[in-house]
Amino acid sequence: MKDHLERRMTTTDLNRMTARNVQVYYGQNHALKDVDVDILDKTVTAFIGPSGCGKSTFLRCLNRMNDTIQGASVEGQILLEGEDIYDRRVDPVQLRAKVGMVFQKPNPFPKSVYDNVAYGPRIHGLARSKAELDQIVESSLRRAALWNEVKDRLTAPGTGLSGGQQQRLCIARAVATNPEVLLMDEPCSALDPIATAQVEELIDELRANFSVVIVTHSMQQAARVSQKTAFFHLGHLVEYGDTTQIFTKPRDPRTEAYITGRIG
Amino acid sequence: MSISLFLLLLLALAAAAYVAGRARAEMVAGGDIRRLHSLPRQHGLNLAIAFALPALVGYAAWRMAGAGGGLWSTLLILALGAASALAVWLALKPETRARNEVEAATKLFLIACSVIAVATTIGIFLSLIFETIAFFQKYPAAKFLFGTKWAPDFRGGSDLGVIPLLWGTLYVSAIALAVAVPVGLFAAIYMSEYASPRVRALAKPAIELLAGIPTIVYGLFALITVGPMLRDWIAQPLGFGTSGASVATAGLVMGVMIIPFVSSLSDDIINAVPQSLRDGSLGLGATPSETIRQVVLPAALPGIVGAVLLAASRAIGETMIVVLGAGAAAKLSLNPFEAMTTMTVKIVSQLTGDTDFAAPETLVAFALGLTLFLITLALNILALVIVRKYREQYE
Repeated sequence: MKDHLERRMTTTDLNRMTARNVQVYYGQNHALKDVDVDILDKTVTAFIGPSGCGKSTFLRCLNRMNDTIQGASVEGQILLEGEDIYDRRVDPVQLRAKVGMVFQKPNPFPKSVYDNVAYGPRIHGLARSKAELDQIVESSLRRAALWNEVKDRLTAPGTGLSGGQQQRLCIARAVATNPEVLLMDEPCSALDPIATAQVEELIDELRANFSVVIVTHSMQQAARVSQKTAFFHLGHLVEYGDTTQIFTKPRDPRTEAYITGRIG
Repeated sequence: MSISLFLLLLLALAAAAYVAGRARAEMVAGGDIRRLHSLPRQHGLNLAIAFALPALVGYAAWRMAGAGGGLWSTLLILALGAASALAVWLALKPETRARNEVEAATKLFLIACSVIAVATTIGIFLSLIFETIAFFQKYPAAKFLFGTKWAPDFRGGSDLGVIPLLWGTLYVSAIALAVAVPVGLFAAIYMSEYASPRVRALAKPAIELLAGIPTIVYGLFALITVGPMLRDWIAQPLGFGTSGASVATAGLVMGVMIIPFVSSLSDDIINAVPQSLRDGSLGLGATPSETIRQVVLPAALPGIVGAVLLAASRAIGETMIVVLGAGAAAKLSLNPFEAMTTMTVKIVSQLTGDTDFAAPETLVAFALGLTLFLITLALNILALVIVRKYREQYE
């Protein structure tokens, strides 16, 4: 499968998001220091590093989900298409429609499969008619490789699906709002190997339309699905570069120690 | 010998047994307590239980049989306990499983406490049933259940129809819920979703304080403040009547009283909705209020319904606020500014003063009590079923 995934190379070097000199504080705790990362268009970027290194924190900065945490503050600059997302004029609600998110644990709403996927389009008024909404739901579920499994039970509750199906439902839900960037926080950590393989394949397909950022604990997963990799350690961005370079010729000794299993 | 003296003596002797058991265990262990199966204090407790349990049971049986109370019989019972303790003391070996015995006794004690609670409910229910049967032998059940006139007369020939009282009860409760449910629910949403932890830490106990105010104080508030205010500002200008006591007064004040039942329970339930659902919704670009309306509240709804039903059964059983706020006249009317009364109030008035427990006018109180009990029981069961269903959903 690795070969299959590597065939598709980075198609563009266009910057979607640019982060410069980002600092994050949780109260007194300086959780993230001097992070510079570029998120390229139509590229999968992987964030790796040991637990507590700040990779999920940084991911949550990219769509301002840290705003919902008491006492968290962000400094520095994060640009989406050249616009500072922490600018006063930016509405975090609109930002999150452009930068979607999939979480570690599948979190379908206690609604039907259809309503789960239609949630975002309904909120943002993306569909002009019921037929159009039906079409968005179907295409989102197809993109998430879930359509064939659920097309006969769109009215069944989303919580009744299996774990892997739930996670793909959450991906379909995020895709339905047509975001520019899709953030995934360890999307496979609650899944078995088969469901993981399905989600990984899906991530690679999503790359055709979106920028994908994925936080993962599995270095094999980062190597399989990403084109760019950023390695975080103790709140610092240690190294950022092409995935093949990070895994074959790491420049920093800490990166080498982590990917060879000596730290972390 | 009086009961209290007996209990005091029993306690002192049990303490002595505890000390003796501990010392014996340490002696048997030969100074090395690691050789014991159970810790010395567990042996001590075991011995204390071996003494106190037979003595207590024996004493209770003796008193219930009507005998005893004398000095010698009491001493005999204590000797029985001492004999049982002595047997345990003599049999104490390092491998004696005192810990398991103490665990078993603890479990027995806990079961006994639960049985008391359940047995009391059953006892209350049975006493109501028997008195109600006695009532129905003197007064036709159909006239009680469907009668629309309430006019008790101890000289005989009274009309004891429950309908006006039932109507008053439901009317007052409905007004109370109409006040408490929106206010309580919205307060709960504010506290769980918007308030900072500091505000919440202050506001939640402050709202719960409402539940701690004695109902008679609420009644006074209804009588001297709310009642005249409603009469002078709303009822009289709009031509609804001139009564100071009214259903609206009692309902309003009762609604305030049950706000904490709704808000506190709903707050807990809303908090139990997993944060991951909120994150999921916010992460899709929903606003906080959209998230609450479309994700959090639907997920919490069964629990909120349970909270409302518990508040309703509290409102239905309320007496003091009704007496002082709505008066004591049994009436069937739609006008919320008219004095009406409820079943609880009539139970009180039928049982106070000189009462003859053979007259239907007195016995009707038990039939009213049973009706009330069945209504609240049904509401509580409904609430429990709904809450349980909700719990299964998120665990």
